[in-house]
Amino acid sequence: MTRVAWLVAGKDLRIEARSRVLLWQVLPFGVIALLLSGLALGPTHAGNSTAGPGLFYLVTLFVALLMINRSQALENAPGTRASVATLGLDPAGVFLGKALALTVELWITGLVLLGGSVLVLHTSLIGTVHALPSVLVTLAALAAAGTLYGALTQGGDGPATLLPVLTLPAFAPLLIAGERSYSAALHGGALWEWWVIVVVALVAYTAVGILLYGVLEES
Amino acid sequence: MVDLEASAPLSPIDPPAAKSRSSRRSIGVILVLIALVVLLLSQGLLSSLNYFETVDQALAQRGSLGTKVLRLEGVVEPGTIVRTNAGAAFTLTGSGDHHVFVTAHGSPPQLFQANIPVVVVGHFVSSTSAYFVGSQIMVKHTSSYIAAHPNRVRAPNGTSR
Amino acid sequence: MIKLSQRLLGPVTLVSLALTFWLGLWVTPPDVVQGDLVRLLYVHPPIAWVALYVSFGTATIASCLYLWPRTRSDVMDRVAYCAMEISVVFIALTLITGSIWGRPTWGVWWAWDARLTSTAILGVFALAYLALRRANDDPAVRARRSGVFAILTAINVPIIHFSVQWWKTLHQGASVLTSNGTLNVHGSMLWTMLLGFIGFTLLFFWLLRYRYRLEVKRDFVVATTVDEALALRRREGV
Repeated sequence: MTRVAWLVAGKDLRIEARSRVLLWQVLPFGVIALLLSGLALGPTHAGNSTAGPGLFYLVTLFVALLMINRSQALENAPGTRASVATLGLDPAGVFLGKALALTVELWITGLVLLGGSVLVLHTSLIGTVHALPSVLVTLAALAAAGTLYGALTQGGDGPATLLPVLTLPAFAPLLIAGERSYSAALHGGALWEWWVIVVVALVAYTAVGILLYGVLEES
Repeated sequence: MVDLEASAPLSPIDPPAAKSRSSRRSIGVILVLIALVVLLLSQGLLSSLNYFETVDQALAQRGSLGTKVLRLEGVVEPGTIVRTNAGAAFTLTGSGDHHVFVTAHGSPPQLFQANIPVVVVGHFVSSTSAYFVGSQIMVKHTSSYIAAHPNRVRAPNGTSR
Repeated sequence: MIKLSQRLLGPVTLVSLALTFWLGLWVTPPDVVQGDLVRLLYVHPPIAWVALYVSFGTATIASCLYLWPRTRSDVMDRVAYCAMEISVVFIALTLITGSIWGRPTWGVWWAWDARLTSTAILGVFALAYLALRRANDDPAVRARRSGVFAILTAINVPIIHFSVQWWKTLHQGASVLTSNGTLNVHGSMLWTMLLGFIGFTLLFFWLLRYRYRLEVKRDFVVATTVDEALALRRREGV
């Protein structure tokens, strides 16, 4: 399972590195969305750091939707699914590999957007550094959940529009937990409770993905 | 010359135990999920999802709460309700001898009365004060339903209520 | 026997619901605190019971049975779909009747407490399930994916149920299925509410039966249309 996971993760990341879609399309979209959030708040409120964590996660969520769709679209290339089936690759390994690659991509995006929110939304740099571990775990949980839900939408009509409908209700607890832990790191408060939620979500989605991804790939 | 066919093991090889591995994995995953549920249910976890702070909790944390907006829950003390043009003023009690003096703006709900639990949205005047300024009153009624005319109904244990 | 019970399902549902409304509106007494507002007790909890446990539960169990290779059949898939569709209606009714009750009692139509929010999220999940089904034309793929999605979303049901025990909520705690087994509803109010539970549960099964039959007919029409189109193409080819 782990060997297949490394294989698939490596494949996805190599494709991403060569196509540069993350660099030239997804990241600019995230930065533009962050700037627009600042503009929507206006000059007086944009500098108010209490809005920073929420806006950061909202923008990250929209960016994540693009990345999940892209991650699953890689499997839609002619012959890919058939090759996976013929080679007898462990579906759990495929799931872990795709989730791992998506996690790395989300971490890169997240770091850029965190920097952006420090600059644009004036969130405290030290507080953001304190929030970094919880942000990374939350993004990993988003990647695990996104890989699972992303597989549900592929092959049907309008996967890009169906994905938000399926995932956003599932992402809501992660969004809340991530935002609260980030806010707690910035302003003080009960950090560990929100940590528990994101860690539990990460483990639960990974476990369910390992169990059910094979059922989805039968399609 | 080596006879390859004779030296090669020709007995059938056991196929990999995919099924037992799969069922072991399923059991493992289910155990992990059960462990997570137990973890989440463990005492005191996720208290941040509470909709309100009780009078006792709010008074205990008054120093750190300061003038932050919160939802405060307590029971309306009988004889303390004063209706004002802006809303109502009353005293909320917690368990024990804790009291908070509330001045709330806006019309209280239909069920607002003495001895009923309420949730007030608002803030303390200062980090040392027991005065609370509210912008909204919500009634938190209990899950008990008792007939208004005791003679017309009997409780399940046969006693008249 | 089965045919007789199927025939009786409609009339028994109608009678039990009519009795519930008659007892709830005219016979039972007002509540000591809530007055006549308590009459929503005979409608809101039974509807929520059907929405969360009966219909969503049926959809989840049928989805599990479909995904389990030994019990896999189109019947299970259809039952899951039809039950989920009915669940959407009942979740919407739960939220609507809850709001109508909440406004005069709490003073607000809506509160972001754990019970209300998790119920609303379940409603969105149920709608997403229907969207997922419409996105796939291949019946096997559709059934498998929607089955997995139903199981993933079912985790929300115990969260909704225990939310009033785990967290402090504006929504009141349980009146019947309490953690210590006590009943908090008295006398005729209790029996009327329980009759409401029976009536709305029967209504669910009655709706499920007719919705299922409609789905079978729809599948038949789709299959026949495809067969006819194929036959036409073959004739054109000759």
